[in-house]
This record gives sequence, C-alpha cells and structure tokens, in this order.
Amino acid sequence: MLSPPTQFKLQRIETPVGPIALVTMDNGEDWTKPNTFGEHALRSLEDVLEQLKTPDWRGLLLTGKPFVFAVGADIDEFGEITPERARLGGAAGHELFGRIRDLPFITLAAINGAALGGGVEIALHCDYRTLSSSVRHFACPEVLLGLIPGWGGTQLIPQLIGAERAVKFIVENPLRQNRMLSAQQALEAGFADELLEPVEFLDESLAILIQKIEAGESKRRPRADLSDVAEVCRKARARLDGQVHGATPAPYRALDLIEGAATWLLEEGYRAEEDALAELLPGPQAQASVYAFNLVERRAKRGVGVPDAAPRRVDRIGIVGAGLMARQLALLALRRLEVPIVLRDLTQDQVDEARSWIAGELDELTRAGRIGEAKARFLSSLVTGGTEWDVFADCDLVLEAVFEEMRVKKEVFAELERVVSPECILATNTSSLSVTEMGADLEHPERVVGMHFFNPVAVLPLVELVRTPETDDVTLATAWAVAGKLRKRGVLVRDAPAFVVNRLLARQGSVITDALDHGNTVDETDEAVLRLGLPMAPSVLLQLVGPNVANHVRHTLHEAWPDRFPLSATLESLATGGEPVVVEHAPRTVDEIHEAVLEAMADEVRHMIEEGVVAEAADVDTCLILGAGYPFWLGGITKHLDQTGVSQRVVGRPLAELAAAS
Amino acid sequence: MAELREVVYVDGVRTAFGRATPDGLFSKTRADDMAVKAVRAVLRRNPQLPPEKIDDVIFAATAQVGDQGLTLGRDVALLAGLPKSVPGFAVDRMCAGALTATTAGAGEIAMGAADFVLVGGVEHMGHHPMGADVDFNPRFIAEQIVDESAAVMGQTAENLHDAFSYLTKEDADAYAVESQRKAGTAWDEGVMDEIVVPMSVFTDEGWTVAARDEFLRPETTMEALAGLRTPFRAGGRVTAGNSAGLTDGATAALIASAAAAGEIGLVPKMRLVGFAYAGVEPELMGLGPVPATHKVLERAELTMADVGLFEVNEPFAVQVLTWCEGVGIGPDDPRLNPYGGAIACGHPLAATGVRLMAQLARGFRDRPEARYGLTALCIGLGMGAAILWENLQNGA
Repeated sequence: MLSPPTQFKLQRIETPVGPIALVTMDNGEDWTKPNTFGEHALRSLEDVLEQLKTPDWRGLLLTGKPFVFAVGADIDEFGEITPERARLGGAAGHELFGRIRDLPFITLAAINGAALGGGVEIALHCDYRTLSSSVRHFACPEVLLGLIPGWGGTQLIPQLIGAERAVKFIVENPLRQNRMLSAQQALEAGFADELLEPVEFLDESLAILIQKIEAGESKRRPRADLSDVAEVCRKARARLDGQVHGATPAPYRALDLIEGAATWLLEEGYRAEEDALAELLPGPQAQASVYAFNLVERRAKRGVGVPDAAPRRVDRIGIVGAGLMARQLALLALRRLEVPIVLRDLTQDQVDEARSWIAGELDELTRAGRIGEAKARFLSSLVTGGTEWDVFADCDLVLEAVFEEMRVKKEVFAELERVVSPECILATNTSSLSVTEMGADLEHPERVVGMHFFNPVAVLPLVELVRTPETDDVTLATAWAVAGKLRKRGVLVRDAPAFVVNRLLARQGSVITDALDHGNTVDETDEAVLRLGLPMAPSVLLQLVGPNVANHVRHTLHEAWPDRFPLSATLESLATGGEPVVVEHAPRTVDEIHEAVLEAMADEVRHMIEEGVVAEAADVDTCLILGAGYPFWLGGITKHLDQTGVSQRVVGRPLAELAAAS
Repeated sequence: MAELREVVYVDGVRTAFGRATPDGLFSKTRADDMAVKAVRAVLRRNPQLPPEKIDDVIFAATAQVGDQGLTLGRDVALLAGLPKSVPGFAVDRMCAGALTATTAGAGEIAMGAADFVLVGGVEHMGHHPMGADVDFNPRFIAEQIVDESAAVMGQTAENLHDAFSYLTKEDADAYAVESQRKAGTAWDEGVMDEIVVPMSVFTDEGWTVAARDEFLRPETTMEALAGLRTPFRAGGRVTAGNSAGLTDGATAALIASAAAAGEIGLVPKMRLVGFAYAGVEPELMGLGPVPATHKVLERAELTMADVGLFEVNEPFAVQVLTWCEGVGIGPDDPRLNPYGGAIACGHPLAATGVRLMAQLARGFRDRPEARYGLTALCIGLGMGAAILWENLQNGA
C-alpha cells in the first residue's frame, strides 16, 4: 500500500542555447501509482539542486513520469505526526521549492498529468508553466483533508491568479466534493502560460523554454492585484459559516493565509504556513480526514468482505416498481451496465411513464454532451416493461423497489420465484425491513440479497450489501460485482433493522424528536447537529426523506429496540402533515442536545459492532461518508467520537478498538 | 486509363536511431509513437499542406505485431492527430518497407487516386527482435528451397565473403571506417540536423532527448575494428564494426503529384523516375540491389554514368562492396553515400528507405550538377530494391 519513493532524475540536454536541466519526477511505477513527495523525494530533490549549482546551466524543465506530474505530499507520513515534525515537513518543502524559485536561470514546469497539492505548488515555484490538454486533475485538495496547501500554495496562488480565484481554488473547490480542474479550466484560471496537445507535449514545452531563453526573458515574480483580498475573504468566511459551521479550522486558516499573501514577503508567508501546518496537521480534523481518506480511497475501493466466489453474468436486469427510486435505479443500471432493463408496475401507464422519464433523462444527457444521440436511442430501446410478472422471466437479477411493507415485499419475491430461474438473484432495495424474513418462504432463499442504495442515487456512492444467514457466496459476489460496475462502493452489513446509515440517523433522530417533544425549537435541534459541520440540517433532511418514511423506519426500529428508539409524538404528527407536539415542556440547551446526539451515536455504534451488523467501526464511518455525506474531518463519526472522549465515556473505550464478536 | 502523373518527393525526416538493447534510448518508447513523431515533424515543416488533403498514410514495419501491429498507417494517422477522414495501411517488404510504401504511394499518385501521400517506416528491433514471432516453414529446409543460412542475415553476409573471396575483412573494415568518418562529418556540418528530429523519450533515468544516433563512432579506426569478434562464424569476417547494429528508429516522408504540390506552393526536391524490385538467391540476399539497379536503369534508358549520387543501404560493408562490383563503381566513389550509411547510423529495417531518400534529397542540394540519383537496398529472403530519382534542386 505504501507508495514507492519518488525520485527527481536529472538529465543534461544540450541545446542551441546551452545545457538545460531536464528533471523528471518518477517513482519507477506506472501511472496507477502516482508520484508523491515524502522525505525520500525531498532528499532526492536536494541532490538535484546541488547538481544545479554548477554555473553553466541555462534553464530547467520539470516534468513527471508518463501520465502523472505529482499528486503532492505522501499522506502516509501524516498519521500521528507531532507539531514539530509537521513544521519541519513544511519548512523542508519551503526551503527546497524556494531554491527552485531562486535558481539563477529560467525554469518551466511541464505539467503532463495529474497535479495535486504539492505537485501544483512545486510547479508554482517555476517561472513558467505548460499544461498538457489531457490533464484532468489539477487541484489543491488540502482543505478537504483538514490542511492548507502548505508548501507555498496559499501565498503563490493568490499572487498568480488573484484573491477571488485563489479562494475558489484553495478553499471552495475542495469542499465542493473535491472539485478538480481540467487543463482547460486551469489555463482559464491563470495557472499556466500555454495549453499544449499531449502528443508532443514535452518536445513543445522544451521548445518554449529554449525560445524564452533565446529571447532573453527573465525570471518572473507575479504580483496579482490583491487590493480586494479582505473583502473577498470576508464574503468567503460568511459562506463558510453557512457550510461548515466552524467545525473544521482549515478553510478559515487558508483564508487567513490568502489574506496575508497580499502584504507578507514570501518568507513570512512560508513561516505562517509552517505555523498553520504545525497546528492543523496533528489536530483532530486533519487526523480524522487522513483516516477518512484512507477509508474511502483505499479500503472501500478494495472492498472488505468480498467473497471468493466468481460472480454470475448479469445480462438482463429487472426492476420491480416504476416509482422514483425504481426509475433512478433503472437509469443507473442502464447507463453503467448497458443491458436490457425490464420494469413492472401495477398499470401500464405507470410503466410507460417511467420509460418516458428514463428517455427524458437520456435526452438531457445527450444535450449535455455526456452521451451520443445514437447511444441514447439504443439505451432507450433497452428499457421494456409491463404489468405481468412473466416480463422478468429471463432476468439474471431482479431488484425490487416497491413500497416498504413486508407483506408486499414477500408477495413480490413469491411472484418472482414463479417466473425466474433458480439462479436469478433477487435483490431488495429495502431501507429497513428484514431481508431474511423477505426470503423466508422462498424455495431458494440463498439467492436473496439486500442492495440498499441511497437517494439521490446518482450522487451518493454507497450501497449497503446485506447478507442474510441464507445468502450464498455467489449471490453476494454478484451483488458486489454489480455494485462495482454501477461505480458504487459496497459495504457488507449483516441483516438487521435499518442496517447502518438509516439506523444511525434514526438514533440521532430519536434524540432530536425527543428534544422537540420536550419543547425545543427546530432551530435549536438543527444547530445542535449542524455544529458538526454536516452538509444538511436534520429538519431539511427530514423533509427530503419524508416524515412518514422516517416514522416508518422509527416504528421498525422501535419494534426491535423500544428503549433506544422510542416513538415520538412530534414525528407521528409530522408524518400525518401536522406540527411538532410538545408532550412536556422541558427544553434542553443546544450544548446538551449536541452531547446527547453524540452519546446516542456512540452507543448505537457499539450495539452495531456487538451484534455483528458491521465488522468494525471503519465500516460505519465508510457508510456515513459515502451514504450520508458526512465530512472527512469527522472521520465518518467514530473518529470524532473517539477523539472527543465520547466513546470512552459511553462505551468505556475507543470505538476503534471494538470488533465484531463473530 | 488516365495518363500517369508525375510523382515528386517533397520532404522527409527521421528520428535519431537508437540501440535496440534494454538500455537503448528508445527502449521505453513505443514504435508507433516514434512514427507519429516523424509524421508530425513532416507536417510541421510543410505547413502549406492542409492535413485533410492527405489521401493516404502508408507505413512499413517488418514485425507487424505489438506496438507495430495495428495497421500502422491508420494507427499512426489517428495518433498523429490527422483528420479521421485520412485513411492508411501497412506494408512489409522487410528492409525495403519504406521504399515499398513510397512506391505504393507513388502508384496511387501516378494513377490519379491520390494527390498527397505520407509514407514511412518504423522498426523497434528492441521490442521486436528479428524473426522473434516468425514460424519458418520446415519445407524451406526439408525441400532445400533455401539454404539454412538464408534466415540469418549475418550469415548471408559471410556467404558473400565466401562467394567473392577477394573481398577481405580488411576491405570491409576500411569501408566501415570511412562510413563512420563521413557520417561524423555530416553531423558536424549540420547535414543531419535537417533530417533528424529530436524526440523526448522516457528512460529509467527520467525523460531525455534522443537527438543523435547511438551507433555513431566517427573516431573508429582499422586497429579497433581488427580485434572485434565475428559472431556469425568462427574465423569469419563480419563483425559489429563492419555491419549495421540492431536499431530502433522511424522515418516519414511526404510524396505528392507534381501538379498538386505546385498548386499549394510546396517545392519538391526530387522527381521519381522509376523503380524496380528483383529477386536473388536468399542465402546471398546482399546481391539483391545489383539486378534491381540494372533493371531500373535499363527501363529509364540510363547508365551508371548518368547517375550523380547513390544512397545505398549498408547492413554489411561486404554487401555494399559486392554492389560496387556488380554496378562497376569503386567503394571510394564520391557519389556513394556521401554522408555515411547504416554502419554509422544503424538500420531499423523497414524505416531505412526514407532515410536514404532524405539523404539523397539533401545530397542533390549540395550537388546541383547531379541530375539523377539512386536509393537502393538489399532485402531478406533474397531481394533488392532500387528507386531512381531526378534532382529538382538544380535551378533548372
């Protein structure tokens, strides 16, 4: 898992203007393992800089191995770091990158592939930049990781492209689902001098450097007009408050540093970045973010608990139902798998309406240039449906997305079993019902599996893959493979009411509705939860899900665990279109509600691990990040609960130390 | 049938030629990327030609597998960014690949089927060692259709020494020393800078620029060559010093109908007069260019005396010496390979033809008095190729 150390490799190129240093960043691996800057890499850069001290060099061109420039600092060196080491790491980069900037000859960064974080920053220390038009990842994602671009980025970026664009690039893009720039966008933002075709990118970049040397062009010290920086940062802070509610210090710190760039000398800026790194990197938000990054980008991508069995081919998919969720699932399966999709509902009108909705969505995608017109026509033609059960006869997998009622679901599976082959996988998108019970009366319950998607399906990457005691390996492996082809991340959960995300949110909801039942206002309960920096207030989420659905889930959970999931007068009322109901006027402070929410979640995670719903806390966190948009800086939720001592208080030890009994 | 049209050579380039070894300059570079580089250099040097006017792209490779395997002409056209309306195909006549691409393109132009054709060749002998994917038919040996030695080019060169026993190892070495010296001078005088396009290549030591031939050894001496091993036969005469090394390289050229070139303001360097291919005994494949040369001259009703410049491939010094014998000129004739040959720069099989054409075109400029010139090569399995050109750079 550790990336091999990146080397800076120096080649001397004789040109008509004299020798040019061609420096390649290369870790000796292919593009799937990108260049990163760890201690090794920095030492190797220092060696090259020593060799560049001889007086005859006329220029330097810095580039990456094929398809990759550099993706920044080596995240594996971040864990458990001390403030001193964080500061030293920052200072080492400043010293070396600063020496590149101060080389007595012209330097050009030829950005041939992905450039992230430190990769962007080293390029900014060069005088000129060319960009290959094939570059799709150009960004400083540090703020997402609870950090700041700390190798000169907060200083050089505003000086190059101005305050407004710097704030967007450094602070806002990382918090917008880690938005990255394409080459064209990076050029338009002012990061590069030339956009070049990839085919002869390096040759042309070298020609540009030679031309600049020949023309006697000088070193560059860009100084954008930063007179608006205070105003830009003030507005950005206000937007931030609305978004992260002060829950993570990094974006605020980044704004301070951008503001400082207007007046500081670069050396002063470097020191301020080092101060920020020393504070932020060992801090809880950055440490939680590194944990979250590893969960999402490494652990979940790998998949934990994938059975060894070979998945079955899935060449025809049935969807039971034609409602909103069913349509979204049909569209997703159609786009990603490009196989025939069969829909069934009670009336032909419902089916036809779903088909025309899908056709309309495909039209939208065509208009947006995402798919070709001919492809859209073909995909449209793959969607058929009817009102009889035998439409599903040849399906390899049927996913039901009908009303959340056990009786209805069991009927659906019974009807399906009459028409499909014994191997056809029967999957349910239920959000809270028992998958085991759903398959209990079937002749072949071993082909039943839960595939719980999250709304909006196109946005949230999580699928809870629910295994019952009967589910066989081939069925689970196939569900896993299908989830992967749908470009979703699967997390394996054992069949238990509401699985992971909904159960935790419901537990949180039980604290909130209890507060409302006791006379707290919606504003107060919202504030108590938003303080974590969540993307959405609980009241908004409740409206999105629908109070009746939430109440339905509450009842299901109440049946299982009446103590932890009490029924709520307010929720009952909201579910039928009414107002909150105060049962007893005994409001709590926002702080108290906040604490109660955290304690309830710690307690519920403990129960989930003890019951073996998930194998460990990491699964819970993965689910919350990918299925509920929980932020990196909480590390899902358990990292935060462990860091703040809530776990210790409620469970007696960190949740990270719990493991499922089985 | 329509009247045949005049075919002209407009321009041609090559990459530097590298050693086909794991530590060679191009070892981590794809063959088709090298061909793309050459094609784009030709287009960049001739901006008058709108790419959509190119009617065909014909590329040669001997090993048509792997990075040389995807119908090269089309593969290279797409990768070079030519409009998708431009078609292409691949040819193989071993060492005469690029010459055959040229004559095939010339045929299309002469017939009126095309106005502009890109031709060239590539051989990454490091990625595709000679004969690596070849399944020799056992009948060749069982029925004595060819001598066993015909499959190994170095052995055919030893066979030439046997057949012409008065051509000694010293003669071959002397020729090689001279080839290296002439090539060195050509590089020093900037001749090669007009033909060789530098290309950045990725290596284990990072990106570098391939700008100079790896085989070039202008300081080569008779003494140094005398001690080299004879790998093809104990006590033999063929050494690494008096033959061309195994090479990675690519070439590309633009040929056109004379009228179409003129219309868009291209200034052609040579006119194609005629061409000929011939067959000889496979185990003496080096003799191939002799009958090919005779044939093309006869058809053009010209004699050797009319030809002012020769660019003859040099896979083996002895092969050139036998050609000199066969056509009646001395190996030191100043008209022969004035910029050195494959012994100094290497011989990437199917690519070499365009290198010869590019050097001939440059030679014509230096020698306006030369009216005709010849490009010729020997070909494995016993063949020879020759194209006769007329100098258009003589102010006429």
